[in-house]
Amino acid sequence: MSFALAVVALASLSMRAGAQARQDSDWPMPARDYANTRFSPLTDITPTNVSRLDLAFSFSTAIDKGHEAAPIVIGDTMFIVTPYPNRVIAFDLSKPGANVKWTFDPKANAKSQGVACCDVVNRGAAYADGRVFFNTLDNNTIALDAADGHEVWRTNLGDIATGQSMTMAPLVVHGKVLVGNSGGEFGVRGFLAALDATTGKEVWRAYSTGPDRDVLIGPSFKPHYAQDRGADLGVTSWPTDAWKIGGGTVWGWVSYDPELDLVYYGTGNPGPWNPDQRPGANKWTCGIFARKLSTGEAVWFYQFSPHDLHDYDGVNESVLVDLPIGGVTRKVLLHPDRNGYLYVIDRASGEVLSADAFALITTSLGVDLASGALRYNPAKTPQFGKVTRDICPASPGAKDWQPTAWSPRTKLFYIPHQNLCQDTLVYETSYIAGTPYVGAEAKMRAGPGGNRGEFSAWDPVARKAVWTIPESFPVWSGALVTAGDVVFYGTMDGWFKAVDAKTGDLLWKYKTSSGIIGQPVSYRGPDGHQYVAIFAGVGGWAGGVVSGNLDTRDGSAALGFANAMRDLPHVTKSGGMLYVFRMP
Amino acid sequence: MYSECRSHFTRALRITVVLMLVAGCEREERQLDPPPVKPDPRAQAAALSDFQPGKQGPGMRMLAAAGGYHEQSAYEVAQGKQLYRWFNCVGCHAQGGGAIGPALMDDNWLYGKSADAIFTSIVEGRPNGMPAFRGRIPEQQVWQLVAYVRSMSGLVPSGAEPNRSEGLLGAPPENLRDAQRPDEKH
Amino acid sequence: MSEVLAPGGPQAAHIAQLWWLMLAICAFVFIAVTLALGCAVLRARRATSETAPESPSTSGEKRVGLWVKAAAALSMLLLVILLGASVMTDRALARLPLDDALVVHVTANQWWWDVVYEDAQPDREFRTANELYLPTGRPVIVKLDARDVIHSFWIPSLTGKKDLLPGRTTTIQFRADKAGEYRAPCAEFCGLQHAFMTLDVVALAPASFDAWADAHRAPAATPSDPMELRGRELFVSGSCMLCHAILGTSANARSGPDLTHVASRAHLASVLPNTPVALAAWITDPQVAKPGANMPAHFLADADMRALLAYLGTLR
Repeated sequence: MSFALAVVALASLSMRAGAQARQDSDWPMPARDYANTRFSPLTDITPTNVSRLDLAFSFSTAIDKGHEAAPIVIGDTMFIVTPYPNRVIAFDLSKPGANVKWTFDPKANAKSQGVACCDVVNRGAAYADGRVFFNTLDNNTIALDAADGHEVWRTNLGDIATGQSMTMAPLVVHGKVLVGNSGGEFGVRGFLAALDATTGKEVWRAYSTGPDRDVLIGPSFKPHYAQDRGADLGVTSWPTDAWKIGGGTVWGWVSYDPELDLVYYGTGNPGPWNPDQRPGANKWTCGIFARKLSTGEAVWFYQFSPHDLHDYDGVNESVLVDLPIGGVTRKVLLHPDRNGYLYVIDRASGEVLSADAFALITTSLGVDLASGALRYNPAKTPQFGKVTRDICPASPGAKDWQPTAWSPRTKLFYIPHQNLCQDTLVYETSYIAGTPYVGAEAKMRAGPGGNRGEFSAWDPVARKAVWTIPESFPVWSGALVTAGDVVFYGTMDGWFKAVDAKTGDLLWKYKTSSGIIGQPVSYRGPDGHQYVAIFAGVGGWAGGVVSGNLDTRDGSAALGFANAMRDLPHVTKSGGMLYVFRMP
Repeated sequence: MYSECRSHFTRALRITVVLMLVAGCEREERQLDPPPVKPDPRAQAAALSDFQPGKQGPGMRMLAAAGGYHEQSAYEVAQGKQLYRWFNCVGCHAQGGGAIGPALMDDNWLYGKSADAIFTSIVEGRPNGMPAFRGRIPEQQVWQLVAYVRSMSGLVPSGAEPNRSEGLLGAPPENLRDAQRPDEKH
Repeated sequence: MSEVLAPGGPQAAHIAQLWWLMLAICAFVFIAVTLALGCAVLRARRATSETAPESPSTSGEKRVGLWVKAAAALSMLLLVILLGASVMTDRALARLPLDDALVVHVTANQWWWDVVYEDAQPDREFRTANELYLPTGRPVIVKLDARDVIHSFWIPSLTGKKDLLPGRTTTIQFRADKAGEYRAPCAEFCGLQHAFMTLDVVALAPASFDAWADAHRAPAATPSDPMELRGRELFVSGSCMLCHAILGTSANARSGPDLTHVASRAHLASVLPNTPVALAAWITDPQVAKPGANMPAHFLADADMRALLAYLGTLR
């Protein structure tokens, strides 16, 4: 009996050890882990040897739209999701070259391209328990068998005729697939839903606007600040029925704390952009929710930008770290918001510990930590009939969806972001289901300094930037940091760069075939070497002038981005290409 | 004798000037009340596109404007410009540069630049995301939108081009536009 | 025009007072000038039959001179009185007490009025079109906006004129003290249908106004009758929803007037009585009643029109 127990114990130990080794070598979801650190524990690549990185293989997706996804790797297999038509391709990494194991085409509805505000992107798939989970642009969440790519289940979450689409990467936690919708520019009512990973059935759905029973606000809800307490605030902070077309879509990143059993995610902008059509705080848009995983009940909420004036979606990632603050180790989350502040929030209670500007801000004067309220600058309120100028940060914010990386070794937060200001005019717009519900015209341009992009390393305890690299174009790619103290990111004119995690010195760069807006990942291949993979393929909101072949003589095209990106078509063309580099 | 001649001449000159000014007063003819026409049998058929904004509905029969396309009329083009914003076309196509939808101010036409082709795009929709507005926008107004879309790349007579937009001018005024993109040579 | 002289509130009363004063002074001046002219004509007739008019007597000249100086001095005095009265009227207009004022946001379009009743509590705001209901005895601050060209806001019995300028928000304050119905025609030429752009103003006792406001806050109810339901389907899936809004349905467009409570209005499009027959004629071809209006003609089958009218009739 004891011998059997010993065998079982030994087996489970080795399995765990094997699993541990597997975990180090894998990259099972775009953010790598539930805390969203995007930190690779592999140490093979160092500042001294990174210049020896070799191109192992490249693979063309034959799609000329924006490639924002992160390739994910489990064991010997890499999985990628392309932009619309959202094909999933599995590569066998044990064979040389790009060896396609299987391809899955979800046959997404072509008309869904008409309701994707910001290019027909997809931010990646997630792997769990032998399955690959991803979203299609036409509102389906699909589970595939990881071994042979056959469809296990498909769940529809909405109708494109209402303007809804899906672009985010799911998060799979304890048998639940967490997915959210897109469409804040179409008056789509946002939600986060949990689907059963085995069957695909919806377990719970938490809306971002409306009565408490729809938002799953109940007795567990204990927001830290007074303005978030009250009954049915998701109704009373809007004109009558405006919450039904109020936005708050959940198209960004989701993180999870297994100890507190809390899911963290941000809600998008309220609709329409024109704020005069929706007086009130517009709850629960532009904020962060903490919810219980099993039931979706809200535990706390904080609103980054009440009554949003500038499309400052709250959907950016919340990276979970434990930091020494005021001499005590606090469980916090780091959230770099569109509105330009880097929030450090106690992830158990929702208390904002600090909110410091990491970019030039003219639209607000600061965050009042006592009340939690954002202090708007009234001079920068967009108005009807008058153009409001020098709105900084511009609508894409100081940082948009492009995700940050956290290194527990350097204790630095690596932020790819932009430096843009804009002029805005708002006017009354009609809600016509399936058509844009915006009511604003804008023109963006580079902020002070002339560089439209920046890559910064931020110390959240000292509350300041340690080093920063200016870039000509917005840095629309994600960041990756490794335990070898090397940081990777890509630029919109196609340079894939490696910089020293401590100093920011450029160590290596590689010119890819198209601008980079994807998320770099790193894994250990079957041959034992460390690999780094990245998508090239310009597009997204920032690169739409290229992927959409827009006419930049109209500066207001692409919701104002065209004015700031007139030179992009001259330096890069579109075209998706997967690049995989190997450290020899 | 000379002064008499001169006074005749001056009078004749004055009369001529007055006549010229009066002749220039001809207002552009505008049809306020288009003659009622038979309903268009096309309107009874189902839309070619199954993607219609909002709820699927039976659609209402529209008036087929007999000779409904007036691109020489500045009023029709200006109404098209107003409807372009009222019906959210500007949300996908911006002020001609495009966003979710393609640019309309250049000479790259996916489905053709003739008035019929643009009319069909609006009424029937197109496969990659252009909604079908059949049964939503009455034909008379679709023709006004067609006229404005063509004016966005300078295809309508310059006298009919609409005025410069007030507010945030993203693109040059319509009457100064050239369809050819500067970096494309033909 | 007689409405100006039947003021229903303090602002119009001040203006009416100034008007009467000007009338009195101008009438006096008119009579005096006519009399003087008559005297002069009579004297001239007598003069031509006697001596040459070129040689008046010195004392006669001095007397005439005195009359002229006196008249000039009197004219200046009257002008100063008018100036003073005008300034005092302006002061009085600006000093209307504004405690507990009702705030209304009026946006003028070609050729209809959009009226939004603002509230500190956003879900208590509501919207209507072409009508302005007011409580008596309570000051009203009206924010004025225009979406296309210059219009002018004028309720003759209640207040003076103020232009609505595109690109600029202005305000006007007044108070209705007498309950009743008033007309507010657009007072700045704004296009083909400027003459048919009237705002129906109704002043009610505060309790009645609150009841009206509560009724107008409510979204349209879902009809139970199948014909009314069909009418609603036609509205939200046809062309109506492209321009109009009915709170409580998916139709939420802003290019045309809000129709959530259209059946309770006195007029349609400022020009037609609000009856089913007129409504049917309006929907079929608005250009007959209001040529140049932005609403196009719609040809509806009889059954569809009946259903649509049935539904619109439920929107009280």
